[in-house]
Order: sequence, then C-alpha cells, then structure tokens
Amino acid sequence: MKAPKLNLLQTTAVKLAIKFTLIYGLILGIVISALYWVNNAHIDNKIKHQLEKSIVHFQNSFASGGRSELIKQLQIYQQADEKHIAFLQSETDVKLQGNLHAWPEDIDINLDGKVSAAWVNDEVIPFEIHEDDAYLPIAGIRLSDNSKLLLAHNIEQSRSLLEFTEFLIESMGIAILFSIFITIILGRKIINRMEIISKTAADIMAGDISQRVPLSDKNDEFDNLSMRLNNMLDRIQQLIKGVREVTDNVAHDLRSPLTRMRNQMEITLLETRTPEEYQQVLHNNIEEIGTLVTTFNSLLSIAQTEAGNHRTQWDQVNLKQLAIDLMELYTPLTESKNQTLEVINGNDSYVYGSRDLLAQSFGNLLENAIKYTPHGGNIKLHIKTSDNQVEVIVSDTGPGIPDKEKKHVLEKFVRLESSRHTSGNGLGLSLVAAVAGLHKAKLILKNNNPGLQVILQFNRDNS
Amino acid sequence: MHILLIEDDVQAASYLVKGLNECGHVIDHALDGDDGLHMALTSEYDVMVIDRMLPHRDGLSVIRMLRADGNTTPILILSALGEVDDRVTGLHTGGDDYLVKPYAFSELLARLEALTRRPSAQPQELKLQLADLIIDIRKQSVMRADKLIHLQPREYRLLEFLMRHQDHVVTRTMLLEHVWDFYFDPQTNVIDVQISRLRSKIDKNFGLPLLHTVRGTGYKLSESA
Repeated sequence: MKAPKLNLLQTTAVKLAIKFTLIYGLILGIVISALYWVNNAHIDNKIKHQLEKSIVHFQNSFASGGRSELIKQLQIYQQADEKHIAFLQSETDVKLQGNLHAWPEDIDINLDGKVSAAWVNDEVIPFEIHEDDAYLPIAGIRLSDNSKLLLAHNIEQSRSLLEFTEFLIESMGIAILFSIFITIILGRKIINRMEIISKTAADIMAGDISQRVPLSDKNDEFDNLSMRLNNMLDRIQQLIKGVREVTDNVAHDLRSPLTRMRNQMEITLLETRTPEEYQQVLHNNIEEIGTLVTTFNSLLSIAQTEAGNHRTQWDQVNLKQLAIDLMELYTPLTESKNQTLEVINGNDSYVYGSRDLLAQSFGNLLENAIKYTPHGGNIKLHIKTSDNQVEVIVSDTGPGIPDKEKKHVLEKFVRLESSRHTSGNGLGLSLVAAVAGLHKAKLILKNNNPGLQVILQFNRDNS
Repeated sequence: MHILLIEDDVQAASYLVKGLNECGHVIDHALDGDDGLHMALTSEYDVMVIDRMLPHRDGLSVIRMLRADGNTTPILILSALGEVDDRVTGLHTGGDDYLVKPYAFSELLARLEALTRRPSAQPQELKLQLADLIIDIRKQSVMRADKLIHLQPREYRLLEFLMRHQDHVVTRTMLLEHVWDFYFDPQTNVIDVQISRLRSKIDKNFGLPLLHTVRGTGYKLSESA
C-alpha cells in the first residue's frame, strides 16, 4: 500500500491550529460583546441618575431664585461640560436657554412632570454644539410656571467604546491572520519532519530493514518518537534474525539425522531380514528421534526465550531454595564421578523471574560443570547476595575455557556453531545466555584457576 | 481402562487407538471438540486424552465445559504448544496432566496409568506397602524386612512417588516433574543415578528386587519385573 503524500490542510497541526483560532475568535467576540453591553448599560444608568439629580438641583434653583436664577444655573451647567445639554422653553414655546436648536419633536413632558418618552433616537435631537450623532439619555420636567426644562447628556464615551470595540475586532482579525500564517509554517515544519519518518518507513517496506530514522540535533518530541521507532526496529530486526537462525539451525540439525534415519530404513527394506534386525532398526530410529526432539525443543526454547514469550508465569523465585533443589537432584551424579558438589547460600534471596527457566539454566551450568570436570573434581554453586544484586556462581575445576576462546564462546552464544559439534546438543549455554538476557542478568565467564567460573548477575529489583 | 481420545489427526489417533488397544484398553475416538464433548457428557470414562487444537471447539473449551458440568474424570492434554505458560494454562483450565508433541507412546501410557491409579494409593493413606517394603507417610520412615532404611528427604519423596504408582511404569520426566518440580530435559543421566542410588538402599542386600528399569521408558516399583 502506498501512503498518500501529506497535504498541508490535512495535517493534524494545521487542523488543530485552525480550530483553536476559530474557538479563540468566538470566545473573544462573545467577551467583547458582553463587555460592550455591560459597560453601555452601566454608563447609561449612571448618566440617567446624574441627570435626575441635576433636575432636582434646577428645580431648587427655580424655587429659590425664579426663572432668572434658573437660567443662570443652566448657563453654568452648560459651560461646566460640553457634554451637558440643556433646554428651557417657556409656556409659550419660546426658547429661553439651552444648547439645542429646538424642543425635540417627539418628547413631551407630562402634567406630572415626567418625560413621557424615555429615550430619544440620536437623529431626533438637532445639536447646537456638535453636529455629530450621539446617544442621549434624557430627563425633563415641567416647572410650576408651565415652562419645560430638558436635560440630556452627550455620550461621547459610548463612541470611544465603539471605537475601542472596532479596534479590538480589527486586531482580532490580524491575530487570526497571523495565527493562520503561523499555522502554515508550523504545518510545513511538521510535514517535513514526518516525511523523514515516512520515507524511512517506505524504505523498510521496500525491504531494507536496516534503515533507521535519522535524528536531528533538536532532541524534541520528533527525535524522541524517532528514537523509539528505531529501538523498535532494532528489536524487530533482532527477532527476525533469531527466527532466521532457528530456521537455519533446525534445517541443519534435522537434515543429517533425518538422512541417517531414512537411509537406515530404506536399506533395511532392501532385503527380507530377521525380526531382530527390524527391531534393532526401529530402536535406533526411536533413539535418533529422541535426540532430534531434544535438539528441536532446545532451539525452540532458546528462540522463545530470546523473543521474551515467557512473562506470564513470573514470580519471585527463591534462589536459595532452588539451589537446594538442584543440589538434591545432582549430588548423586557428582558422587558417582567422585566429584564434590558444594552449595553455598546464605539468606533467602529472591529474583523476579521464571522458576522453570532459571532452574533449567542453573541445571545446564551444573551439567556442563559435571560433564567437563574430571573425576575427583570440585563443583561449587554459590548464591551471593548483596544490597542490589544476586549473583549465581557456578565454578568447577575442569579444563576451563582459555581467555582467547572466552570471547569467542560468548560471541558464539547466539549462533553457537562450534559448540553444537561437541558432546550433547551444545545448546545449554546459549539457553543460559537467552535466559540471562530475558531476566536482564549479566553473564560473565571467568577463570577459576583451574577451571571455569560462570557468573549470572541479577539485579534485585529487575521486576 | 475405558479411554476417550479427542484428536483430529486421524493417523496419529489410529496409532494411539491401536497401541492402547494392544495394552488392553478400550478407546472411543472423537475427531472434533463438539463430538468429543458430547461423548464425554454421555458416557463414563476412566480417563480422557484431549488434543488442545481441535476443529469446532478447542480442547481447553471442552475441558472447561466438562469441569463446569461437574465432571471429574482425569484429563491428559496433548499439545503441540510446549511453552511453560501453555502447560500452566492447560493445567489451570482443569487438565490433570500435559504432554507435548512429539511424545513417546510409552510416556503417554505411563501418564495415563498414573492418572487412573487405584484409589487404594490415595494421599490420605498412612502406610504404603509393597512386599516387605513399608513406608510410613506420617513419620516419613522406610522399613524393609523390618530393617529401618535411612533415606535423604528427596530420596524419600522419590520412593513415595514410586510407591504410590506401584506396578505402574513411571517415566524419568514424570519423576523430575513430581519429585523435583523441574520441567526440563536433563542432558545427563541424572535420574538414572538417583534411581540406582535408591536401589542400592532399598534393594541391595534384600532378596527380591523391587525397583525395576523398564527399557526405553522408565522405572517400575513392583514385585515382578
């Protein structure tokens, strides 16, 4: 399957950025509207209140000083603030004082002295001081001489608020444009980084599993992802290698015995033979099959251990007890060879792992020691516990392994071509190596002077 | 013994049927899980041999159904899956023993006989006797011809296992599993050495040999070879 080329708009980064920009814009819009509305209402209320207070003030002026005092006060009022709008009209509809051209048409003052129309549209009131439109809270009263007083307030603030809002909307637009710009750059960058990973994947699909994702020096999340991918590829490659080796080994180890068996049976059938001869051939074949099955099982077990298929039955394994079990199993065998088997173990020491696999590994090490140590030799199984690790040491007084060969033997653990031609099926140590790997233990070969010392170092908290 | 064999490999099954017949057992054979389950539920068997991978209904499912139904017939699971985990899963599901293919026929036979051993050799018994060999389970002591024989703890367990399966063949693998709880094939003759050591303690200097080697299979504790 060929992966489609990445499209900028389809990238998650761009989609997310656009989404967030939209959400951000929407929220900002709502906040600004709310602010505008709340502010407006607040200012209107405040002004209306002020106007009502002023009305009371002028009423008092009229009561104390009559019309002339009122006009004087109105003049002061007008001059105090150019936002103050006042209009005083006599009972015969003559303008007495004020900064409006005329009494607004649709405003009347009832007999009870209140303004009948609460609010005036901007255009209704012709301005004397400003030709601009403005929104005017208004208050009025009919005085006792039947003249009418009207007070209004030019809300310049509302205009500036409007301008501020417009500014906000404009800057929001710029911010959105900017974020789209950033988004495109971001998307491009991500696409470029992804393409590198994508290309490596394509190369691997094409058959070259040794390819790895190149890392940048940024040490960012892409490098982190790439590193993990590379680790995964390493592991997969290792497993594939393991499978290939098992296949090769099985092929090699099955071909020869199968050929032997087939030849023996075919040749037996060439002539009529005595029942004893037939029985002998069958016995031989059963024995051959037994060896074959053992080899096959060992290879499979190593492969499965290396693949790490064994985790479900893991538990804390008491190595001290395991050492005792093994000693009880192998002591008669060592005694039959006049060897001594010595087990040194202090306290209970636990390792998290598979008892079956650990038992088999230690068993393999002991069997090797018993096999290669001459009569009268000494074999030691030592469980050594320290604060952070447990060491299982199997030492013998056999011929040991020359230093030069040690490395060779360790290298050969994986393939173990040479030791597969020695006695037994020679897979014992490679299983030990595989089990050690699975338990994150270190496998060390040392000279025992004379003999060999095999050390398995377990971390105590390898769970 | 009346044995139910559920195995989809016709040829392998035919060999087993022939072999078990010749050893004096009666075999019913089912080719798939559904038939096998039906037969197991409708007839009485002494032991069942169930392959793990079966058409229609896999072996573990058959065992689960049988156990849920209250059936306690011993079951030996045959499997091509040999991992430690697989064995544990099989036994956990309700199987009594687990044998990995390819297995030796003698191993299968020995294990079937072990699964159906006479009720007289049940664990609650306090003394086990064969000829003049007597073991006292409570005291963990061994006497032969009224002479006390001293055994190491593990030798005692080996002898007890053999005594519980007297007159039946037990294989090396069975001994390794039950006496030492080890599930691997030793590459040495370690079990043979253990047996010969035990033999030197319980048979040497006594008239009738009781611990016999069965060629190609294992060992048998019996008055007759």
